[in-house]
This record gives sequence, structure tokens and C-alpha cells, in this order.
Amino acid sequence: MINRPLKEGFRGVGRHWAMSISSAIAVTITLLIISIFVLLTWNVNHFTQNIESSLDIYASVDYNSESKEATLKKEIEAIDGVESVTLSPKSAEFDAYLNSFSDEKTKQAFEPFRSDNPMHDAFYVKAQDGSKIQSIADALSEMKNKGEGIYEVSYGGQSTISIVDAMANIRKIGLVLVIGLVLLAIFLIQNTIKLTISARSTEIEIMRNVGASNGFIRSPFLIEGIIIGVLGALIPIGLTIWGYYALYQNAGGVLISNMFHLVEPNPFVFYVSGLLLLMGILVGFIGSWLSVTRYLRWKR
Amino acid sequence: MIECSHVYMRYKSGTNALYDINIKVDQGEFIYIIGPTGSGKSTLIKLLDGEEVPTKGSVKAVGIDVGKLKRKQVPVYRRNIGVIFQDFRLLPEKTVFENISYALEVINMKKPQIEKRVQEVMKVVGLEDKGDSFPRQLSGGQQQRVTIARAIANRPKVLIADEPTGNLDPGKSAEIMELLDTINKKYGTTVVMVTHDASIVNRYRRRTVALEHGHIVADLSEGGYVRHDQ
Repeated sequence: MINRPLKEGFRGVGRHWAMSISSAIAVTITLLIISIFVLLTWNVNHFTQNIESSLDIYASVDYNSESKEATLKKEIEAIDGVESVTLSPKSAEFDAYLNSFSDEKTKQAFEPFRSDNPMHDAFYVKAQDGSKIQSIADALSEMKNKGEGIYEVSYGGQSTISIVDAMANIRKIGLVLVIGLVLLAIFLIQNTIKLTISARSTEIEIMRNVGASNGFIRSPFLIEGIIIGVLGALIPIGLTIWGYYALYQNAGGVLISNMFHLVEPNPFVFYVSGLLLLMGILVGFIGSWLSVTRYLRWKR
Repeated sequence: MIECSHVYMRYKSGTNALYDINIKVDQGEFIYIIGPTGSGKSTLIKLLDGEEVPTKGSVKAVGIDVGKLKRKQVPVYRRNIGVIFQDFRLLPEKTVFENISYALEVINMKKPQIEKRVQEVMKVVGLEDKGDSFPRQLSGGQQQRVTIARAIANRPKVLIADEPTGNLDPGKSAEIMELLDTINKKYGTTVVMVTHDASIVNRYRRRTVALEHGHIVADLSEGGYVRHDQ
């Protein structure tokens, strides 16, 4: 009795194979885009975490305000989104400056300035997360403009942040696209199942008349929808596994520069594949459910 | 067996189909429901087999208040009611045997039981040698016998026949009438037959309920066709 709905379901797919294939293709396209979207989002999140953890804001102290550093530190700590503030004295800054040169000769040439250190004391400000960096930097710049003891503000990776922003926008557009496509796929499956239902309307009528339960009538159609969903998921799953492995190997695990580390393919791609299969099944199920339920509802 | 009391039916579309219908049918009775198209005959059948719920009043059959059934309970209730249609509604790609056994399969009867029961009902309708034939190989009268076999396979207490002779010539109609009569007498099945075939109603006299514009205009226990002109 369990294989009856399975058998009937496969028969339904075969009976309207053209419609079934076109619905499956709709699922395929949808899932491909979902796959790209998930791979991208996951990696962007991965990048963002990497970048964010290495982003400090540098704010040097005005020579005249060196005596007020303790108060300044408190003020900076009070800015929204600040996680921690560390003070680096000008001598440490000087060392850091010297160390930025690799050859000993240049270092030697700068050594005489140590006694008349031109560097400023500096605060290194850590943000709670990447999105707060901009606003903290703005607040610090304002302190500088008002002459409240800050000499200069800078933070690395403005361009990186704009990439992250751009990716966030891509994510939003992708989400809208995916929702649209999921709805389209559900709609197409719904119509395919409707064809099967109308082809079998006499049979359904008879089943109803002799007292078959709704679940009994409904199950083959649900199976049919799920089969279409699974068929549609096969190509995206194959492409995801193959494509991501190829990308990872060709790129050597990084994208553009060392800053962008790709997520390791194993087990990542298999999670994504599982998700795609689940989406396919769900889309197929919902599509046929809507169709069958509407049909069974016009009668009690 | 069947009891309609003060049944009103108004469809969502606003059509009024039945007004204050009161009918009581005893176990083992055979009644005709007659009336022109649009008189409410089909609505009455739909109320009986649980497809529609009356707007007012109650429809009781086999001791169950049909209108009060939950959606999920309707299929099980329907197993008490056999239905025969004017257009047969047989599955063309299935044999006679399969068409009948199908009705038992969908209510989860066991295979050996199905086998036995199908043979029995094919004998009742006189088609024991036609099990392997397809519906298209049979005459209209034989096809209607198959639907009767299918309808009684599950031993329903009530058999509803919706214009069972509508597509048949008089000779075949007579055969079907005799078969329904046999089922009624032999098994005590209550038969409700909807028809507008005056010759049948006049020839096989039974209790006759006449509907017109949703009202019962006559309920004659001695039978005979009623022509009611307002």
C-alpha cells in the first residue's frame, strides 16, 4: 500500500513529461541561483568576519592634549559601538614606524629623531563589529574638528568595507530574486499537478464516491510534486559540488588576495547540497499541495 | 434509514435549491425522486452523500447526521452509500474486474477478500464472464451493471441511482430496473432513484417523491408519474 502513491506519482510525472520537465527546469534555475546566493553569502560572511576582526581605528592625540589622555580615553570608550580602546605611547609608535622599513640603513637614518620624537601618542579603537567602524571613525573625526584633542583619524580598509557593503546589496537583490523564482517554481508545479488531476478527475470522483480518504487521494499527487522537485534539484547539486571544488582548487583557497579566504569545500558543499535537495522537495510539495487541496476543497 | 427534516438549501452563489424538504425513507424501501431539471434533485443527492451541507434543517442517513460530519469523517460515511451515475464513470484503462476491485482497494480492503467479493458482485449483476473485458467492449447496459456492481461491492446500506437509465434504450432500462429491484429485495438495500423517465415510474410503481423548484409537490406511496403545473 505504501508503493501505490509512489507508483502513481511516477506515472503522473511520465504522463505529462513535458510539463514535468518544464517545472523541473524552473526548479533547477531557482535552485542554481539559490546555490550561488548561498555560496556567496556564506563566503562574504566568512570574509567579513576575517576583515572585521583585523580592523582597528587609529586616532592620534594632539600634542597639547597629552595630559588629558585619561579623560580622552573615557570619552572614546563612551562612543557607541566601541569595544576597547588601547593607548600606544609615541615611543612605541616610533618603533612601529621604524619597523615598517625593512632595511637597516633607513632605520639608522631615522634613529636620531628618537630624542625629538615627531610621532603622536595614539589610541587604537576596536569596534564591536564591522558595521560600527564607519560611525566610530566619524565620531572621532568630529572630536578632531572641534579641537577636542584628536590630531588625526584613520582606519585601514575603507575600500574593503565598501566591497562588503556592495556584497550586502548583492545579497538583498539576490534574496528578492530567489523569492520570486521560488514562487514561480511553485506556480509551475501547481499547474503541472493540475493537469494530472484533470486527467484523473473521473478516478478521483470515483475514489471520493466509494469513500477513499482525502489523504489516500492526495498522496500520489504530493509524491509527483516531490519527484519533480527532486529532479529539478539534481543538476544544481551536481554543479554546486563540482563547481565549488573546482573554484576552490583553481583559486588555491583564496579569492583576489589573501584577505579573502574561501570556506573549505568539505563539508560546506554537502550542507549546501542538502539545503538544495530540501528546497526542491519543499517547493514540489507546496506546489502540489496547493493544487490538490484546492481541488479537493470545492467538494466536501 | 434516511430522514430529511425541514431542509433548506441555499448555495453560496445565492441560488435557492431546496425549501423545507421533509422525507422519511425506511430501511429496505425503494423510492423515486422525480422532477424537471433544476428542481433540486441533484442537490438532494449531494446532501445525502455528504458533498453539501444543508443551510437549515437536518439530513440523517444510516443514523448519522450528515450535515454535522467533519470534513475528515465524510469519506468513511460515504462507504455506507453506493452511487450510480447516468454516465457510468468507469475507468477506461482498467478491466471490469479491476474497476470493481479498485473501489475496494481504495478503502484498504485485503487482497483475498477483494478477489472473493468482486466475483460475488459480478455474479449478482450477471457479468461473471466479463471480468477481463474493458468497458469499451461492453454495451451501455452492461457498463451500467458494472457500476452497480462497483456501488454495491462494499455492501452499502443505501444505493443512490442518479438517472441510471438516462443513457439506455427501454429494453436495457428494464434490465437495470430489475437488477435494482433484485438488490433491493435480496439484500434489503434502500434504493433512492432519481429519474425523469415517466415510463419507468409508471411501469415499476414505487413510492414517488416529486420535486419542483425546490419544493416537494407530491409524495405518493402508490407511485405513478406526477405532472405538476403551477
